[in-house]
Parts: sequence; C-alpha cells; structure tokens
Amino acid sequence: MMTTVSGRRSLLLLSLLAVVLASILVFLYLKSSSEQTTTYTESRDLIRQIKQQDSQWESEVLKARVAITHNYDPLVSPMNEMNRLWARFESMDTGQRSDESRQWDHARERFLDAMQEKTRLVEQFKSHNALLRNSLAFLPSAEDDIQAQLANLSDLDKIQLQNIVTDTYDLLLSALEFAQVASDDKASDIEVGLNKLAVNAQRLPANFQMPIRILSEHIALILREQPIVNHLLDQIEAIPVAERLDTITNMLDLDQQQAERTDQKYHFYLLVFSVLLMLSLLWLAIRLIRSFAEINRVNAALQTANDVLEQRVDERTRELKNAQSELLDAARQAGMAEIATNVLHNVGNVLNSVNISSDLISRKLHSSKALGLGKAMQLINEHPHDLGSFLTEDAKGKLLPGYLNQLVGAIAQEQQEMADELAQMNKSVDHIKDIVATQQSYAGANSMTEPLYINELLEDALRMNAGALTRHHVTVVKEYGDVPQVMGDKHRLLLILINLISNAKYAMADLSNRPRTITLGVRIVDEGFLEISVRDDGEGIAPENMTRIFAHGFTTRKDGHGFGLHSCALAAIEMNGHLTAHSDGPGLGAVFTLQIPLIKVTEHA
Amino acid sequence: MNTLTTYRSCRVLCLMLFACCTGIAAAPLDEPLKPVPDMPRQDPERVELGRRLFHDPRLSVNNSLSCASCHQLDKNGADSRALSLGFDGLPVAVNTPTVFNASLNFRQFWDGRVETLEEQSNVVITSPHEMGNDWNTVVQRIAGDPDYQRSFGAAYPDAVTKANIQNALTSFERTLLTPGSRFDQYLQGNTDILTLDEKYGYQRFKDYGCIACHQGVNIGGNMYQKFGVFGDYIADRGHPTEADQGRFNVTADEADRAVFKVPSLRNVALTAPYFHDGSAPTLERAVDVMFQYQLGRMPSEEDKALIIEFLKTLTGHWEGQP
Repeated sequence: MMTTVSGRRSLLLLSLLAVVLASILVFLYLKSSSEQTTTYTESRDLIRQIKQQDSQWESEVLKARVAITHNYDPLVSPMNEMNRLWARFESMDTGQRSDESRQWDHARERFLDAMQEKTRLVEQFKSHNALLRNSLAFLPSAEDDIQAQLANLSDLDKIQLQNIVTDTYDLLLSALEFAQVASDDKASDIEVGLNKLAVNAQRLPANFQMPIRILSEHIALILREQPIVNHLLDQIEAIPVAERLDTITNMLDLDQQQAERTDQKYHFYLLVFSVLLMLSLLWLAIRLIRSFAEINRVNAALQTANDVLEQRVDERTRELKNAQSELLDAARQAGMAEIATNVLHNVGNVLNSVNISSDLISRKLHSSKALGLGKAMQLINEHPHDLGSFLTEDAKGKLLPGYLNQLVGAIAQEQQEMADELAQMNKSVDHIKDIVATQQSYAGANSMTEPLYINELLEDALRMNAGALTRHHVTVVKEYGDVPQVMGDKHRLLLILINLISNAKYAMADLSNRPRTITLGVRIVDEGFLEISVRDDGEGIAPENMTRIFAHGFTTRKDGHGFGLHSCALAAIEMNGHLTAHSDGPGLGAVFTLQIPLIKVTEHA
Repeated sequence: MNTLTTYRSCRVLCLMLFACCTGIAAAPLDEPLKPVPDMPRQDPERVELGRRLFHDPRLSVNNSLSCASCHQLDKNGADSRALSLGFDGLPVAVNTPTVFNASLNFRQFWDGRVETLEEQSNVVITSPHEMGNDWNTVVQRIAGDPDYQRSFGAAYPDAVTKANIQNALTSFERTLLTPGSRFDQYLQGNTDILTLDEKYGYQRFKDYGCIACHQGVNIGGNMYQKFGVFGDYIADRGHPTEADQGRFNVTADEADRAVFKVPSLRNVALTAPYFHDGSAPTLERAVDVMFQYQLGRMPSEEDKALIIEFLKTLTGHWEGQP
C-alpha cells in the first residue's frame, strides 16, 4: 500500500518536473525567437523605401523646377507610395512598443507633420511652378510677337519705337536672368522696367498695346512667382522628412539592439538550460548504463541459479523416477507375493483334501480285512495233512470257506473304496498343479495385449481369491453382460481385478450383521468402452478420503502398503483407461469401476 | 518661335518621323501625356455589387438619388446640368465632375478635400446637400435586402459593413476607365490615327502652355491651380459663393483661395458644362476662359480651333461606347 502511494507520488512528481522543464524550454525558445528581428528588418526596409521615395520625390521636384518634364504624375506617385508604405509600417508596428509608446507617438507625429507640410508645399510648388514655367517658356514668343508687330511698321516708326523695343528686350533678359538669380536688386530693376514700359506703351499704336500688355503680365507673373517657387523649394528642402525617418530608423535600431540584447540574454539562458539538460541526460545515461549492467548481472545470476535449480529438479525428478520404479517393482513384487499367498492358500486348502484322503487310505489299510485272510491261512497251515478233513470235519474248519467268501467280498469293497479315495487325491493334486500353472502364467508377464474373454479373466481372478472368499463366506454375484472376445493386457487386468476383489473382501471383513456380497459387473458403455465394476457392501469410503484413495501410500488398513489401488490406477492409465471409485458414504459400501477402451478381436483382426 | 520651342517641335517631328520610319515597331511615344492604364484586377463579385450600389437610390436619405443620378454613366459619368440637384431637390454647390477615370485623379472633389474614392463616397452619402444620409441607415437598408445580404456574404467575409459598401462602390468606380481614345492610340505608337490638324492641335496645346497643368495620365487631375491667374474669373462672373473659394475651404490658407484641382481633360468634348461652377456651357467657351484667365494669352482663332480638334481626340471608350 505504501509503495503504491509513493510510486504514484513519484510518477506525479516526475510528470510535474517534465512539464516544468518543457515550459521553461518553450518560454526560453519563445523569448529568444527572432520574430522581432523579422519585424525589425521589415520595418527598416519600409522606412528605407519611404526614404527612397522621399528623395525621388525631391529629385522630381527639382526636375520640374528645371523644366525637364511637364508631367507632374511623378510628383504624385512618390507621395502616394510613401503614404502606402507608411500605412503598411503602421499596421505592422501597432501594439508592439507599448512601454515607449509616447516616444513613438511623438516620432510618428513629427514625421506625419513633416510629411503633411511637405505635401502641402509640393502641391503649392506644382501650381506655382507650372505658372512660372509657362510664362518663362512664353517670354521668347511674346517678344517674337512684339518683333512681328514691329516688322510691319515703316522704318521711320521703327526708329521711334526702337527705345521701347529695346526696353522690352532688356526687360525680357532681366526676367530670364531673374529666373536664374532672383535677387532683390533685379526685382526692383524689373519693377522699374515694367512701370516704364507701362508708361511708354501708352504712346504706342493700339496693335502694340496688346502684346506688350501680355508680355508685361507674364513678366509680372515671373517676378511674382519666381521668389515664391524659390522660397517653396527652400522650404521643401528644409522639411526634415528624411531626418524624421532617420529618427524612426534610429529608434528601430535602438529597439532592435534592446531586443537583441534581450535575445542574447535568453539565448544564453537557453544555452545554460540546454547544458543543464544535457548534463542531466548524461547523468541519466550513466545511470541507465549502470542499471543496465546491474540488470545484466542479476540476470546472469538468475540464469545460473535457474540452471542449478533445473539441474536439481532434473536430479530430483530422476530420483523420484527411480523411487517410483522401485516402488513399482515393490508393488509388483508385493502383488506377486499376494498372488503367491493366494496360490499357497489354495494349494494348502487342496493339500488338506490330499492329506485327508491319504489319512483315510492309511486308516483303511490298517483296518483292512486282508488281515482276516492271514488268520484263515494260519488255520489251513496248521492242518497241512488233514486239510480236507479239517475243512470237512473240524468245526472251525467247516466255517473257514464261508469266512473266506465273506472276506473276498469285504476286500473287494475295501479296494473299491481306496481306489475312489486315490482318485479323489489325484484330482486334488491336479488342482494344485492347475493353481501353480495359473500363477506361473501370470507372474512376470509383459504388457502384451492378447485376445481374451473378460468373463474367463474374472473367473481366474475369483479362483485365485477363492480360498479367502470361501473362508470369509463371501457370496459372489455375477452380472456379466454380453461381451465379445476383446484384446487386452491380461496381466494388468488380472492385477487390477485381484486387487479390487481383495479390497472388497477386506472392506467387508468387519461385516457381521448381514451376508457379505461382492457384485461383479461387466458391460459395454458408450459403444467404445469396456466397463468392469466391483461392488461391495462393506465399510464404504469417507468423503474426505475420496480424493486421495488412489494416492500413493494411502491406506486405511493396519497392514496395508497403500500402493495397491495406486498401482491399479497406474495400470489403468497405462491401458489408456481409468479407474474410478464411488461410495455413498461410510458403511454404505463402495463401487470401483474400471473403464478401458473396447477393442474387439474381430475389429483388430 | 524661339529656339527652345523650335527645338522641341523639331524633336517631336523627329520622333514622329522616326515612328513613321520604324512603323512596324510602333513604340509608345515619350510625351507628358500618358495613355489610360490597364484595368486593375479586382474581384468581379465586388465590382458587380458596386455596380448595383452605384445605381441604388437607397443610398440617399429619401431614396431619391443614386450615384448614377448625377454621375450618369450614359452621359460620360457626369451631369449635363451645371449644378446637379441634391436629395432635397436643391442644386448642390459645384458641378458634378465625371466619375470616368476618377480613380486616376490624385485627389477627389474640385477642392481635393479627400484622397481616396472611399472617402469620396462617404462625403457624398453623408453630405446634407447631396444624399443627406447616415451610414447606420445605409447599412441597415442594404443589410435588410436579402439579395444584397447574400451577395455581400459571398464577396466579403464580414458581409454588409460601411467599409465593404465603400469598397464595393470603389471597386466598381475603378472599372470606370475610358481607354482607347484616338489620342491614346497615338501615344501608344499608332501615329497615323490622328489627322494633321489634330497633331497640330496637340502642338498648340503644348506651345500655349495648356500642358503646364493638363498633363500626365489623366491629362490633368494631378495638381491644384489657381482659377484666375491673369484676372479674377469669379469676380468677372459675379455672385461669388463659398464653393468659389476652392481649397481655401479646406486649408484656410489665403494662398489657396480660388485654387481648385485641375480637372482631367479626358472625354472633355462630352462633359459640358465646364468648370467647378458649370459656368462654361461649351468647350469653345471653356478654352476661351482658359486662355484669358489661366494662360494670359490671345490665341488666333485657327489655333483655338486646332486645340479643340485635339481635345476631341481625347474621347475614350467605356464598355465599348464613346
């Protein structure tokens, strides 16, 4: 009970430890993962792209400034691209730097402000620059228009107008110059020039007024717009979009460095943890190897012990086998002794008859009437000479022939009686011979099957016990069924039957109040078995003895060996049959039943 | 003609000659104007939804106006009236610009107050003078229609929302491009498609400086400009309104007064009347105003006619129709 509890607890502890180790590992792994780095690279890349777009934007502004291009789409697309990239940057960035959000918000706002301002300025630049470029481009053709008007005039008028034309030309050059260097001096020059032209133009013919007015308006526009454009350009240049982006990049760098430091820290932790795990693994491996060696050693020891044990079991088995065969020999010898006892008993009984017969004959001989013949002869011999007379005259002599006649009859009867008695004696001697022959035919016979009639075998068994049965006044009831000649082991069957009959006889030894009866039964059961039963109505078998009745060494008799039934059961098994006992209880008799396979002779042949 | 313009026209002529000589190659011309780009790739389900929404009067508060009521697709995405009427039957503040190629503009509305088409739809739907609606009502109405419900469910993971309605509308509007104008074909290298007069018209268009503002892919629509550089058009027109202040209404910057988004000239021949106030009923009038107030030039009648010839080549095709 204690071990189960502690075992469960240690299992729990072990799994807890495993979970803790695994979570530490996962924690360290997550902490040292390079997710931040990816975001960082991406963010930096986005900022870099925004910066690139910004410089492209600026270069497009400059291109528009020097009138390389008339297409303002390139001034729109970088801005849109920057806004798009920024939106991506923001969407990626959100929720990451909560601790420094104020700083970040500040940087972001500053960038967005700069961006907005720059957008506003660029839009203004676009508008003003378009006007400025347009007017600058127009100036030469405006001058052409004036010159064209001039060409239509007569030479005299031309001279008159020469000054005005020169003035406009100067003005034109000043304006173009102003477009290059927008100095205040130049501006006031142009202003003066414009005023002068305006005044002079009043004196000109009507068809001159229009081109000059148009030219003046455009020059005035240049005068107005050029400083604005220049100023816008300066302002645009001064907008620190790139610097704001650099700030953000720096912050990203700082963040990244911080993250890298944290990363390195956790990497280091991870390393330490791994080393610890490695060491513990090593330790476990060593432990494992050791315990493996221990297990091997124990296994080897167990193997040896097992071998020894097996050897010992073998020995013991051998010994047991020897003991059993000895016992079997003893049993066989005991059986033979029993048979011999029976035989001798029977022989003794018959010898008794022989003895009586010989006694009778001896007595008959002693009292034989032949002696009277001797006396008669003596009388005759006393009268050798007068025999005739004697026989005729003498009183005694006259009786003699009658006596002899009677004697002849008596001797004849005597002889007849003695012959009868001798015949009886011969018969007894023959019986003895029979008994001895029977015994000899069984003793030492091998396990051999031979054709036999089971009823005859029962008769033989009875005959061998006949003396004892007669002596104990046992009645034998025979309930023989119709059994054909079968193949069987005569010796084993006889051994079993003699034993069973003998047992039955002993079981009824103490029976005095009723006649002793053995019932022998023979029948065929289940078509394939021959059943022989021996029933007595003796002392019966106690239920507790039922199980060990066939056990070796079990007996209820004072002088029993305890292997009679045991050897019988063995013999039954040797014949592929079995021997069973049944009793309704003590004092109610018992029945022993032998069943062996039925092998009919006809079948066999 | 000064050297610069001569040189430029020489270059153009050379290019034209070059294009003629190499004929077979028909390489796209390198001009400040660019042809309409290809249609963007979009989810056709969303486009179809946008088309239905575009024609759906339920977007306006009293179910009287759809987008198409003012942006009449059969009238080149614009309104033939100078000022369209709002849901309340009163004229709105400015002329309805065409919805065609609107996705190519760098900002939306005359004063450029929003950057995206999505925002544009929001402003119009919620404007108290235009559709006068609010998004709760719009979403409720659209979501209440099982047909829309099903289509939105198929096209968007989160079905009917404000953002999805805007997205669908925008998706449809992005398909409203008018490619294939004769001038675009010219730009793509097919220089024979224009007549000589039209080519001269383009030349004048550039020489007079129209191109200073009307350039790029949408021939305008990529910058702001003051309306009335030489002279005050609005004052000359009279009855100034708040809308005439242009971007000033957005930025409150004095420099932005009467500054408007330069409109696109694509399909310009078909989208009369012109200007933010719809004050120019004909193209001729519009060109005159431009010369007088924007360019400060007096073109010859011939040049003006050539330029108008050129402007007529900017008419593209929508769904195969001019």
